[in-house]
Amino acid sequence: MASFLLNRLGQSIILLLIVSIIGFTVLNLIPGGPLAQYALTPGMTQEDMDRLARQMGLDRPLMVQYFDWLWRMLQGDWGTSYRDGQPVVDVIARHLWATLLLMGTSMVISVGIGTWIGIRGATHRYSAFDYVATAGAMVALSIPTFWFGLVGIYVFALRLEWLPAGNMYTIGDGSFADYAIHLIMPSFVLALVNIAVWSRYMRSATLDVINQDFVNTARAKGLTERRVLMKHVVGNALLPMITLAGMQLPNLLSGALVTETVFTWPGMGRLFLDSLSYSDYPVVMGLLMLSAVLTLLGNLIADIVVALVDPRIRLA
Amino acid sequence: MTKRESTSAEMSRRSALRLMALTGAAGVFAPGLLGRGAAAQTPPAAPKGRIIVGLSQEPTVFNPLMLKIEVDDGVHFSIFDPLFYTDTDGVIKPRLATEVPSQENGGISEDGLEWRVKLRDDVTWHDGTPFTAEDVKFTIELIVNPEFRAWRTGGHSLVRDITVVSPTEITWRMEEPFSPYLSFLTETMIVPKHAFDGVADPNEAPFNHAPIGTGPFKFARRVAGDHIELAANADYFWDGPYIETLVFKYIPDLTVLYSQFKSGDIDLIGLQYITPDNYEDAKTIPNREIVLAPSPSVEMVLFNVERPQFKDAAVRKAIYAAIDKQAIIDQLYYGLPTPSETFLPQGTFYTNPDLPQQQFDLDAARKLLDDAGWVPGAGGIREKDGVRLSFVNSTTSGNHLREQTQQFIQQTLAEIGIEMTIENMPAAVIWGEFWVQSQFDSVLVGITFRVGADPDTTNRLHSGATPAKGGQGSNFGQYANPEVDRLLEEGTRIFDPEQRREMYFRIQEIVREDLPFLPLYNDNRANGWKSGIEGVRPNLNARSESWNAAQWYWTE
Amino acid sequence: MTAIDLSDRPNRWWRSRAVQRFMRHRLALLGMVMIVALTLACFLGPYLLPYDSLYIDLRARFAPPLTGQHYLGTDPLGRDIAARLLEAGQISLQVGFYAMILSTLIGTLIGVIAGYRGGLVSAVLMRIVDAFLAFPSIFLMLALAALLKPSPVMITVIIAITSWMEVARIVDAEVRSLREREFVLAGRMLGLSSTHIMFREVLPNVLGPIIVAATLTVARAILLEAYISFLGYGIQPPLPSWGNMLNGAQQYLDKAPWLAIIPGLTITIAVTSFNFIGDGLRDALDVRNDQN
Repeated sequence: MASFLLNRLGQSIILLLIVSIIGFTVLNLIPGGPLAQYALTPGMTQEDMDRLARQMGLDRPLMVQYFDWLWRMLQGDWGTSYRDGQPVVDVIARHLWATLLLMGTSMVISVGIGTWIGIRGATHRYSAFDYVATAGAMVALSIPTFWFGLVGIYVFALRLEWLPAGNMYTIGDGSFADYAIHLIMPSFVLALVNIAVWSRYMRSATLDVINQDFVNTARAKGLTERRVLMKHVVGNALLPMITLAGMQLPNLLSGALVTETVFTWPGMGRLFLDSLSYSDYPVVMGLLMLSAVLTLLGNLIADIVVALVDPRIRLA
Repeated sequence: MTKRESTSAEMSRRSALRLMALTGAAGVFAPGLLGRGAAAQTPPAAPKGRIIVGLSQEPTVFNPLMLKIEVDDGVHFSIFDPLFYTDTDGVIKPRLATEVPSQENGGISEDGLEWRVKLRDDVTWHDGTPFTAEDVKFTIELIVNPEFRAWRTGGHSLVRDITVVSPTEITWRMEEPFSPYLSFLTETMIVPKHAFDGVADPNEAPFNHAPIGTGPFKFARRVAGDHIELAANADYFWDGPYIETLVFKYIPDLTVLYSQFKSGDIDLIGLQYITPDNYEDAKTIPNREIVLAPSPSVEMVLFNVERPQFKDAAVRKAIYAAIDKQAIIDQLYYGLPTPSETFLPQGTFYTNPDLPQQQFDLDAARKLLDDAGWVPGAGGIREKDGVRLSFVNSTTSGNHLREQTQQFIQQTLAEIGIEMTIENMPAAVIWGEFWVQSQFDSVLVGITFRVGADPDTTNRLHSGATPAKGGQGSNFGQYANPEVDRLLEEGTRIFDPEQRREMYFRIQEIVREDLPFLPLYNDNRANGWKSGIEGVRPNLNARSESWNAAQWYWTE
Repeated sequence: MTAIDLSDRPNRWWRSRAVQRFMRHRLALLGMVMIVALTLACFLGPYLLPYDSLYIDLRARFAPPLTGQHYLGTDPLGRDIAARLLEAGQISLQVGFYAMILSTLIGTLIGVIAGYRGGLVSAVLMRIVDAFLAFPSIFLMLALAALLKPSPVMITVIIAITSWMEVARIVDAEVRSLREREFVLAGRMLGLSSTHIMFREVLPNVLGPIIVAATLTVARAILLEAYISFLGYGIQPPLPSWGNMLNGAQQYLDKAPWLAIIPGLTITIAVTSFNFIGDGLRDALDVRNDQN
């Protein structure tokens, strides 16, 4: 196990380096740059722009800029946002919790509903419910999230006026209830896809378990169907679900991006989009690296869980 | 109120002249100035209440001398003061200074090189330290410090030999006469010298995140990504403040910004204001004042005149004649903007009111092209000497109204045998090298040509200001006209407004004839605030709607 | 489904078990019908409509559906939405189709080589796959869209670049399991070249999973085009695509909700149909359930 982890760690570091090189290069190849937004300022001359580029170190060769960035990064200095003037870590941290709140809520919703649909689908295989759930999951996976959000806003915010159209809270309020009401729409919209995914996994996980010997044994012992299900099926199916949760980690950045855009939710996705459109390289690179680390971490967790669950490894 | 009168009483003869010249254009300003029974209202004796300003971009720069965007200025106007300011009529008035230097009052020498500015003696910084001429000297020196990430150095880079004569008097010499400098100074907030004592790198000074000013409001706190809170400065030397708390709330989406204004979550809607499509709806909201105020920016199709298609003035004229300006204004922009023929905003002292009016006339456009030898070729696209009358138009992607305008123009141009293709790019891309190195064919853009209320546009129209030709400036369309060059050069050396006015009228005539860009319209911003707020006066000559937040107050 | 399949079986292909199974999959059949209908509508429909998709008529802007001959209403420039929707469909469907072809080619090539060669080649190739997967795809897409001019061809390429990895992984795993099978060993003993074995002998046996993955890639590519265009980085106006018809629709949600509802519904129908087909093919070709 130790050598496995060490090996993985080595591979991960190389991967992170590759990701950072590609990311940095692609970003800097995009024409324009962080100073472009000032080009229309009245009274601003090319002389001023050139001076600022020099002061900000943007006129240095790409390699030099990259190694400068890498060296600082290794020392724990993520740099300062061009747009915000704040340390990148602070900027990211500020948006991280908004995204965590949104994704956490949505995760709870999707796990709850998805598990129920999945198990019911498996235990009532080929029933009308199962068919509807299967087809429904497929449709849910096919709906563009942002469009679902738009329809939600149209119905619940503009027509019925039950829910706010966007934002995380009302200025000057910010009570728990206020957050909650702002959370409802974006978290359900975000949950839609996950409900579909979770319910499919839960269904097949349950089906895998349901036919195994020990479940039959348990049934033979005279345990009620419900108890068997709760104790064994759910218990066993939950392990693969942890794997899946691990795989969801990297979605922190990209998963909520469009939902955050539609609902003007001040999270990581929006931050990424804004930073990209302002060419705020330090923030984009910070987000990119964070996301890559999470992806690798997610894969690692998934692999470890699989290794732990796999009986061959357990025996060894 | 008494304080205010003492400072603005000595309005010069010239200012009065300018004011008179402006009355013709007062109609545009009328809604902004009149408000509702403004004369009957008086501000409260002590600051009372809170006003929340909603902005669609986040103010993030608090050192007013550093690289910043318009939205930062709103905050700067409230925390700091400039030496002079430009009022809604375009008249420059003293703020931290006691008078505006001119050649008549001896503040500026006859050759325009020696400047003398007298300062107020009753001003203190928010931390209690008195404001002196040393702070002014420090400010100008900091701007031109080669290591300091200053916003812009125009004008300041000409200043030499700054001398502090006394705590209330400062003099300097200019490298060359530069009359627009007065306007540059109206956009230069003075920062406290003592806040930089012992600071090695001014780019990293603590001041930059905890600004200390002389202004009507003190910096209270910032919740990054959300809002900025300012608190009334009870010792303010000038008019106001009349509210206890001023909040700038960041709402990163124009649709949400508007809905928050509608629901009353914000009291006043700032940059980017009410979108044109919501203007009619906004007027129906009860208890809201909706006021159209002109913006200094002119919307235009700007050509890269070095492109072979655009070298021929006939082509530029034909395209102008083929643009249905009125339809764009009335339909796409819901009638809000005012048609324009020049690069200066409508109705200012320096705006030439006698320029020819553009007529939408496709037949005239066709005739212009036929006469110039541009005849239809393959696919109905006109061509001449192997040059196809086909070009690319670009603008910032995501600006829906501009994208609609482009497509509308595209259709009418196709009718007269001109092919226009659209290639839009994100802001950080299009305004990069593509723009400053003149790599574009044409752009659809809103540009503010002036600094403050000064008509100088050397930066945008002088042939020596094109970076693609080795120049230093912002003439990215590569326009070159010797007479315009000469007039621009002369215009900055002359201080007399009447004389300057004639010259800039002439420049506008020439540019209107040459059409290096097609002026479409002058934007009118739909400002809005809650009824009960008084004192809001949108100012064409200030970079923010919050320029005079010191004078805002609640009536009840 | 291929020449080899045909020669193996005396029966006509439509009697094959796979086809029989697919035909029994009602949702897949429904998807098939929808896609055929949609494709026909998109490529033939514009000839039947009275309006051109690019014709601007400012007097007719924001007409709601079923006004006059504007069956689906008009957009903010007074263009006919029905005409735009169908024309947009041509573009979106083609983007989806060609992105699928391209990404399947890349993925299959890398997967076959990695799986067959094994060892260092496999390690390097699969690490490249990992590196691509470590990027949030939205980053790659948006950055590339800002870098390259967002024409339909470029958007296709960008989508392909960000979606070949799954095919590569699936093919790699399949090929690896086939590598030591008798027919491969026999081929080697006969002295056939590696290229021949890889693409003539091994590849046909992994076609099932590839076809399933490819179908799902079309669905994914259509969705991705919609996402990029919605964010304003995709196909630029005036050229319509399902995605860019939605860009800006949020602004008019209150006044003209059909601007958002119609294209979104169409995307959902198209993507759902492809997903149904993919699901049916998975059952029909007896491919292991490799979701995600």
